[in-house]
Order: sequence, then C-alpha cells, then structure tokens
Amino acid sequence: MTAAWQSVVESPSGAALVSAEALRAQQTFIVVAAYNEGPCIADVVSELRVSYPNVVVVDDGSKDATAERAQSAGAWVLTHLINRGQGAALQTGISYALARGAQYIVTFDADGQHDVADIAALLDPIARSEVETSLGSRFLGGRRSAMPPSRRVVLFFAVLFMRMTARARLTDAHNGLRAFSRRAAQQLEIKLDRMAHASEIIDQVVSSGLPYTEVPVRVRYTDYSLRKGQRNSAALRVAFDYLMARLIR
Amino acid sequence: MNPFQTLVLVLFGGLAVLTISAGFGGMVRKRIVAFWLAVWALGAGAIVWPHATAVVAHALGIGRGADLLLYLSVLTMFVAFFYVYTRFRKIDRELTLLVRRLAMQNAAAPGEPAALPPTAASADRLSDVGQA
Repeated sequence: MTAAWQSVVESPSGAALVSAEALRAQQTFIVVAAYNEGPCIADVVSELRVSYPNVVVVDDGSKDATAERAQSAGAWVLTHLINRGQGAALQTGISYALARGAQYIVTFDADGQHDVADIAALLDPIARSEVETSLGSRFLGGRRSAMPPSRRVVLFFAVLFMRMTARARLTDAHNGLRAFSRRAAQQLEIKLDRMAHASEIIDQVVSSGLPYTEVPVRVRYTDYSLRKGQRNSAALRVAFDYLMARLIR
Repeated sequence: MNPFQTLVLVLFGGLAVLTISAGFGGMVRKRIVAFWLAVWALGAGAIVWPHATAVVAHALGIGRGADLLLYLSVLTMFVAFFYVYTRFRKIDRELTLLVRRLAMQNAAAPGEPAALPPTAASADRLSDVGQA
C-alpha cells in the first residue's frame, strides 16, 4: 500500500516533486490524548501513520503501557507525569506540534472511534484558505451511526448549551475530531483541563473571529469507546466547569 | 456565664493565640492578623453579650440577632468557598503548566528511548523525577 505522504509526481526534468497532498500530510500533526489506551493505541497510531507521518500521543499519566506502545507504533510521545485530563493533554500536544512547525493540527480520539479518512475532508477547507478551523460533526451529511439514544439527547442539550453560551451555531458539540490551521492553533489556549475543554475550544474558536466550519465525520460507537468515553452524567459537571471558568477568567 | 459561653470563649481565646503566634512567626501579614483578631473579638462579644447582636440587627432592619449571625455566616461561607475555589484553580493550573513543561522537555521521538524510563504507575513516574 502506498501511503499518501509517500506519493510523488515527476517534473518535466524527471526530478521528484512532492504532491500538494503529500506536502500537506507532512505538515500535519495529529494530536492524540491518551489515558490507559494500551489495548488500542498502537492500532490507532499505525492507522494514522499510513497517511500522516507526524502523530503526537500525549500519555496523560496512564498506568498501562500506552506510551511504550504508541512510541513503538511510530508516534512522538509526551508523557504527563500525573493525569491532568484530556483538555490539558490536547494543549500539550498542540503546543508541541506548533513547536515542531506544524502547519495543520488535527485532534483525534485515542479510542479508535474516529475514521482516519475523515481527516482529509477536515483539512480541505483549511488548505483552500476558506476557514481556519474545521470541526467534525456526527449530525451532518446524513451519515448514520449507532449512537445510543441517551447520548443523542445529551448532545442535543450540549449543542443548545453552546448556542446559548458561546453563540456557536453548530450541529455537534464535544466531537473530538477537529482540524486547525497553525494560526488558529496558536490562538487556542485550553485552560479547562478536564472534559469541559470541548466547550472551551468552541468558545475560543467562535470568539477568535477566525472563520470556521463543520464537516461531516463518522463516529464508530464500539463497546470499548463507549466504556472509555464520557458518561452522560458527566454533562452537568462539564457545564459547571465551563460556566465557572467563564465567571472567573 | 453558662458552660457554652465559657467553652466558646476558650475556643476563641485559643484561636487568637494561634493567630498572634502566626503573626509573630512571620507566616501571616500584620493586617491579616488584625482582621482575624477582630473576627475573634466580635465573635466573643456576640457570645458574652448576645443582646448586642439584636441591637445591630435592628439597626440593619433584621428582626433577630440570631438571624443576623446566620446571614453573616452564610455570606462568609460563600466568600470562603469562592476564595478557596479560585486558589484551587490557580494551583491546579500551575500544576498543569509544570506537568506540560516536563512532558515537552522529555518528548520521546519515534523509535528513540524515552527520556524518562517507562514505568507502570504514575506514582513511580513522579519518584523517577525526584531521583533524577
């Protein structure tokens, strides 16, 4: 299988030129926040690296072999000595990617619920300079996923909540698959370490004034991802953390 | 003076001594010492002369002295919660920045050995840093 980032085109003189897509893939850093994802992190990293060579895994104080497996699979690995939460881990990965010269940064969940094929669609509008941020949406494009009904209800209220608090007109909230231009990533400063970071990111994307869009993406709900993911009951805690942060800047 | 008043006065006296010794020890600033001594003195006054609170309560338009103390207590709780919450958030934030800085300094490239040796538990990771 020829990886996208390895594909080249020939110039008239015969010199190998890197295609635009391959160059973009090389300039893209995929940031994965992982906490006790030993069972699947290697598969996720390997799948990502077929198309995107730069994968940054932030091991958020895992008690299993997440870091070692991610590194063996070819990722850059940054280790949080103690668990600080997904928001903190994402910011660590984004800061590191920026320091390494990333032009595009994608956040991708570690539990294998996202589809690598969706990343290109997220990057396209940014590469065309139409927007600076692309947010994945489970509810666009007519794609159906086996979303549990209770999760659908919680997400409905989450979208409503973001519409009221951040004036964000989105169809999805708390989707971990997002893409940022370098400029947009530089303006991000995730301060909510735990799960409320998803609301904070949307808030900052909207308030930055930089153009953004939603792109349809697929989310695979497996037993593993549902077990690892947020519980619906966490929604109130997320709302409390987010509102308190808005109150106390 | 009833036993309850005696007990509470002894408690306030002990707190005052602790406050003064903390002030002399340089752990607390003088104006903070003065503030807490005033709080203990007011508390002691309210215990010894319970009717005094009623006079203040009437002046403020509150029916009973006990109600005044209740309102003040609740208000104090809210202020204390807010203060502790903001302090907690500040320390939490600083801890994250510290953990982030260490993670970025010790980033492991693909195929390279990690700067920090891999360990099974986060507690071990902390002790690794301590030994470094």
